[in-house]
Amino acid sequence: MAVATTPDALSALMGRVAGGDRSALRQLYDATSAKLFAVCLRILSDREEAQDVLQEVYVTIWRRADRFDAGRASVMTWVSTIARNRSIDRLRARGPMAYADQVEDLEIADEAPGAEAMLEAKGEQGRLQNCLSELDARTETVIRTAFFEGVTYEAIARRMEAPLGTVKSWVRRGLARLKGCLQR
Amino acid sequence: MSEAPELSEAEALAAEHALGVLTSAERRDAELRVARDPEFAALVEAWAERLAPMADQLAPVAPPPSVWAAVLRSLPANDNLAVRRGLRFWRGATAASLTLAAASFALAVFVGSRPPLTVQPPPPGQLLDASLVSQSGQPVPLFVAAYDPVRKALIVTSLVTANTDPAHVHELWVIPADGKPRPLGIIQPGKTQAMPMPDRYVASLAEGSALAVSVEPPGGSPKVDVPTGPITAVGKLAKI
Repeated sequence: MAVATTPDALSALMGRVAGGDRSALRQLYDATSAKLFAVCLRILSDREEAQDVLQEVYVTIWRRADRFDAGRASVMTWVSTIARNRSIDRLRARGPMAYADQVEDLEIADEAPGAEAMLEAKGEQGRLQNCLSELDARTETVIRTAFFEGVTYEAIARRMEAPLGTVKSWVRRGLARLKGCLQR
Repeated sequence: MSEAPELSEAEALAAEHALGVLTSAERRDAELRVARDPEFAALVEAWAERLAPMADQLAPVAPPPSVWAAVLRSLPANDNLAVRRGLRFWRGATAASLTLAAASFALAVFVGSRPPLTVQPPPPGQLLDASLVSQSGQPVPLFVAAYDPVRKALIVTSLVTANTDPAHVHELWVIPADGKPRPLGIIQPGKTQAMPMPDRYVASLAEGSALAVSVEPPGGSPKVDVPTGPITAVGKLAKI
C-alpha cells in the first residue's frame, strides 16, 4: 500500500482515524512514525524511552483524532506537536535541569542546512530556515537547541553560562523577529 | 534584520510553550490556559505551525516493529458513537418535552460548594481535557473542560451565550467506562468555572471517559443520576 504523504491524503486519513478505522491509523503510522520517532529520540536520547513515548503518541492521536481541525493545522504539525509535548513532559519528569546527552548514532542535521538544502527547501520550511538564518548566530542556536532538545530556559542558561533573564530575552526577541520575518 | 515589535505577554508565553522552554509547572499552567482561553490556544497553535518546519531537518528514524504492536495492544475502542447511543438510552421520556434548540439559555445557577476534599497524596497526575461538541448539525465546540487530577478540579468553560433560555440549565455529566452517567453539576452559560470534584467521582474522570451536557429544568435533572433532557454536547477526556 502506498504511503500517504500529501497534506490532503493525511487529512483524509485523520478523518478515518477519528471514525475508529485502525487501518487508517496504520497508514498514518507508516507515513509519520519515522519523523515522529526522530523527534522523540532527539529530545529523549534514549531509544527505549523514545519508543515508549512514540507508542503513547499514537494512542493519543487515536483518542484525539476527532479534535483535529484541518482548517487550523496541518496533520504533520498536529502529530509532531503531540510527539514533542509528550517527549518534553517525559524529559521534564527527569527534573527541571534535565537535558539529553545527545547520542552519536543519530544522524541529525543540527547546523543550518547547506546551500543546496536551502535551495531545495520549499515553501514554509524554506521560509522558516531563511528567517532563522537572519537571526544573529547566538539567538538562532538558542532557538534551535530549545526546539530540538526541548530543554528549559534554565538548562540553556546553564549550558551557555549566561544569565537566565538574558537567555529569555534573546529568545523572546528572536521569536518576535522570526514572526516579523515570516510575515514579510 | 530590522527590529520587530515585541510580542504581547500572552503571545510570548504561547510561543515559549510551543517552543518547549517552559518548566513543568509553567507547562501545566499554559495547558490549563489553552483549555480555558480559546484566544491563547489559537496563539499556541499558530506558533506550533510556525516552528514545525524545523522538524523537517531531522533525519527520519524508523522505529522498531515492536512499537506498532504496542500501539495496537493499547488502543481503546473509539467510543464516541457508543457514548452517544448510551446517552440516548439514558435519556428519559421527558426529553421529548424539552426543546433541543436551547444550546443557549441563561440562568445564573449557583454551583454549591462541594464537600471539602480529603487530602491524599496527589498522584503524579496529568491534565486531561475535553472539547464538548454539539450533537446536532455541524459539530461545534460548546464547552471546553480540563481536569486537574492533582487539584481534583474540573475547569469548565461554556461557550454558550448567556441570557437566551432562562427556562433551562446545562448539566454536566461524566460517563466512564461502565456507561453510567454521574452528575457533576450545573454549568453557567458564557462563564469559566472551577468545579471541585468529590472523591467518589475522581476515579470516573479518567482518560477515555466521556463528558456530556444535557439541557435540564432549573435545578438540574429531576432524576437522580440520569439526564432527562436532550444531550447538547459530548466530548471525551484525553491527556493533553
